[in-house]
Amino acid sequence: MSNRAFAGAAVVALLLVTTACGSKQAPEAGGDSGRLVLGASLSLTGATAKEGILTREGYEVCTKVVNDKGGVAAGGTKYQLEIRFQDDTSKADVSAQLVDQYNDQGVKLILGPYGSGPTDAVAAVVERNGQVMADSAGADNKIFAKGYRRSFAVLSPATSYVASIVQAINDLATPKPKTFAFISADDGFSKTATQGGISKAKELGFEVIAEEYVPNQTTDVSSALTKIKPKNPDVILGSVHLSEGIAIVKQSKELGVRPTGGFGETVAPPIPDFVKTLAGSAEGVLGSTQWTPKTAGSERFFGSATDYAATFKTQFGGRDPVYHNAEATAACLALVLAVEKAGSTDPDKVRDALAALDTPSFFGPIKFTPEGMNVTKQMAVIQIQNGKAVPVWPADSAEAPLKWPATA
Amino acid sequence: MSIVDVGQGQEVAGPATPSAPVTAASLRRRTTPWVLLAAGLLFGIGLQPQLYPAQERLVSTVLMFVALATAWNLIGGFAGYASFGQVAFFGLGGYGTALMMVHLNMSFWLAMAASAVVAFLFAALVGAPLLRLKGHYFAIATLGVAEGLREVVTNLPKLTGGGGGITIPTFGPNAPTRWLGNDGFYLLFLFLAVAVVAVAIVVASSRGGYALRAIHQDEDAAAAMGINTTLAKTLAFAGSAALTGAVGSARAFQLQTIYPDRSFDVAITVLMVVMVVLGGSGTVLGPIIGAISVAFASEWLRTNYTDVHIFLLGGMIIVAVVLLPQGFTNYVRDAVRARRFSLLENVRRYRL
Amino acid sequence: MAQFLQATVYGLLQGGLLALIAVGFSLVWGVMNVVNLSHGAFVLAGAYVALQLHDAVGLDPFVSMVPAALLLFGFGYVVQRYLVNLVVNGPIFITLLLTFGLELVLVNLMLYLFTADHQSIPTGYAEGSLVLPGDVRIPYGRLIAALLALALTVALVYVMRRTRTGLSILATGMDRGAARLMGIKARHVYALTFGIAAAMAGAAGAAVGAVSTFSPADAGRFTLFSFVASVLGGLGNMWGALYGGLVLGLVQAWGGQLLPGTLVNAVAFAVLVLVLAFRPQGIAGKPFYASRLEV
Repeated sequence: MSNRAFAGAAVVALLLVTTACGSKQAPEAGGDSGRLVLGASLSLTGATAKEGILTREGYEVCTKVVNDKGGVAAGGTKYQLEIRFQDDTSKADVSAQLVDQYNDQGVKLILGPYGSGPTDAVAAVVERNGQVMADSAGADNKIFAKGYRRSFAVLSPATSYVASIVQAINDLATPKPKTFAFISADDGFSKTATQGGISKAKELGFEVIAEEYVPNQTTDVSSALTKIKPKNPDVILGSVHLSEGIAIVKQSKELGVRPTGGFGETVAPPIPDFVKTLAGSAEGVLGSTQWTPKTAGSERFFGSATDYAATFKTQFGGRDPVYHNAEATAACLALVLAVEKAGSTDPDKVRDALAALDTPSFFGPIKFTPEGMNVTKQMAVIQIQNGKAVPVWPADSAEAPLKWPATA
Repeated sequence: MSIVDVGQGQEVAGPATPSAPVTAASLRRRTTPWVLLAAGLLFGIGLQPQLYPAQERLVSTVLMFVALATAWNLIGGFAGYASFGQVAFFGLGGYGTALMMVHLNMSFWLAMAASAVVAFLFAALVGAPLLRLKGHYFAIATLGVAEGLREVVTNLPKLTGGGGGITIPTFGPNAPTRWLGNDGFYLLFLFLAVAVVAVAIVVASSRGGYALRAIHQDEDAAAAMGINTTLAKTLAFAGSAALTGAVGSARAFQLQTIYPDRSFDVAITVLMVVMVVLGGSGTVLGPIIGAISVAFASEWLRTNYTDVHIFLLGGMIIVAVVLLPQGFTNYVRDAVRARRFSLLENVRRYRL
Repeated sequence: MAQFLQATVYGLLQGGLLALIAVGFSLVWGVMNVVNLSHGAFVLAGAYVALQLHDAVGLDPFVSMVPAALLLFGFGYVVQRYLVNLVVNGPIFITLLLTFGLELVLVNLMLYLFTADHQSIPTGYAEGSLVLPGDVRIPYGRLIAALLALALTVALVYVMRRTRTGLSILATGMDRGAARLMGIKARHVYALTFGIAAAMAGAAGAAVGAVSTFSPADAGRFTLFSFVASVLGGLGNMWGALYGGLVLGLVQAWGGQLLPGTLVNAVAFAVLVLVLAFRPQGIAGKPFYASRLEV
């Protein structure tokens, strides 16, 4: 190495050391006057991009409606609502990092990401940082079994996804089926939902003759169906997401699996893609949903479920809302109401106000257990009738009777 | 071009052999990397109080990638065995630590050391059949191992929590070690990065490093020269695995909750490879430069072009790979030596 | 027994489709020693082309295989000629990185153009099936896809072994320098090869669209299965992808019956690693290709 190069290296080393001994600039200013800033880290790209974008839309509706009604009134000031969005690329650890970043920027009130995985990761960070989270899309009960006190889920927990379909069949189906077969994706949320469904089925006196697991996000459930076929179940229940849900119905047709009572699936049927891809085969499939435009309850910002649907439709070019939109808006609403109730934006006061919240809304009743779950709100069960997702249960929000047996 | 083609990525810093006199120049050559490393360490320590927590976390991640890229360089750059399953060791270190802390209530430091050992042994075991393969086959075999390991972890829910992830307790009575905090992790990753680079410097200028480079150039000739190629390859593979495992362990503790498809994400391996290749494989400085530039570029893109950042990242990779296939440090070194700076020359050299 | 038979039949049909997906990948790897990590994206592109044609003019997806193949042939040719050819001489990780970058670009482009929605091309007949004794079913859609895979592989073998173009491709694959000395234009031949591979991928994509759902997230999975099928079947032999695909389909189907359904992927990877460890040239490959470093 030549003399020159060595000298150059020495200069660089010296430079590095001296730069390091500089001084830090003043820290970022904390609160903004007149604005209530909420932070949201969402999957705008990646595997759950679709649902992440739907969640963002729900948050955006909240911002518009709340600000149009004058903003959030707390402690004598009226705050304009502002939500900051960042993309977590559908990855749980990125979500957690982004929420940490929000903490640095002084944003202490957090709106949940999409999915139980990211919500779980964010909940741990929120707990550690002293932030507060309103969870819109993380339903897995396991998140709330960890002793977290600062995260509150407005949506019904995972255990009710399949259990509500079982209950609906029990209440409405004549003749009542006897045997159920369960197909579940192997992620935490789906498994919790399956266990909830199985216990509910046994509790109501049904026989569970099969419990098969398939890889998450798969498009091929043939091995599970082939194992189930000889057992001849009356109903096949799927605790799955969209791609597995479509595959179950499609491949059942291919393999000649025809349960007399048809299919029930959790998340897939309410999503428009389900009917679009399956066309006629989707008829009669039951689904569970966190919300329908017929859900009972109303409050002053959004009115009733029908009012919310109309507002959404106007804001998003004539498109009807799905439950992912509604649950997101509900989470934002919960935070807004908590801030108003607490009379301040201090995270601890907001946290206490959230824990004590008990209000009806377009999304159903919002009230939290000590662990942070909303068990007061029931899920609704829909059935695909004539290509549309029609609410059939519970009775006070049903639009049409259940068509039974589903596969004529 | 001289007859003795030193191929790509050859650093000409060599040890003084007994027969050659110890000149001032060779002494400078030997100590320069250490001086720069020490300066880097001081810079890192000094920088810390100036950073906001978010920036601190970003720099921690960059340091993590510096460590990962440099570790990969040992097997991929020096020895030329492009391991595309390096993330297997990252995940193994992470899950090993998580399991030890959750089920055995071990302290983090003990768990990290143990995880590194586990990764070392696993790589040695797996390397026995796989290091006999060459080129793409080795890459795909290691990729298969990484993916297979991920599936295994996903399918042992009672032990690892399966797809739902596993959480390391970091506060409360269950926690064997308190969470280190942003500052703590920054320093941990800084020391890890420095340690890995130190290993790389030692390897680069030792007989072992020459053995690896010889294997890269022509394995049969190396064997004919008396180099125990199997030993050298296995040590390089297992060594880089142990270092990667230690980094994975630190990362798992930092994240608190880890999931199989994130701990074994093939994108992490690809990032490592991109960083090394763009920085200059087979050098010590290359992976460092590559890691820093790619990590910052990726973060900058994600913040400023949220909707299209992956698309842009892909485009950047394509352009960079076409214009600088030998990596930045090698390009600079060759360009300075030959006084030819044209990037298109580069393209002409490698194209069909 | 019927259950096992059903699994076997379904596995073979699935394997046929996998073979169709993998054959282009295997060709490129065998001839040019380029592992095309964006292969899955080409398959996906074929599926989207078929989808668009179906939505626009109601074209049946199996018929759309032809325009999808032609379109992707052109695209593949251009990509190879003006992009991948630039790095073919470099070390292997360069081509891997280039194709990886290409994959990111293509998948995100499709994500932008078509959103992350899961799509499928409904046909009236694809879900109906041929019923065998014991209620073992052979779904029409998958049967057609598997038969087409067989037909296309036969056609490919014929083209490769009997036409001048095919022979020049094989020759360039064996020894590029010698081929050029014989007057073969390597740049053009490489581009042709990639184009053919892309065309096969596109046709496979159209078939996938007919029998199953797809979305941009599936690109990686297609590429991964192409790897496994190519390695299993072996390089240097045009039938390799077919054998590999069929075996992979069978292994997955049987594994799905004997083991819990979630281990299906683990089984595929275990097979991959075992084959590589003990018989790298696969079922029908030539050992030369397993030890080849640079072309």
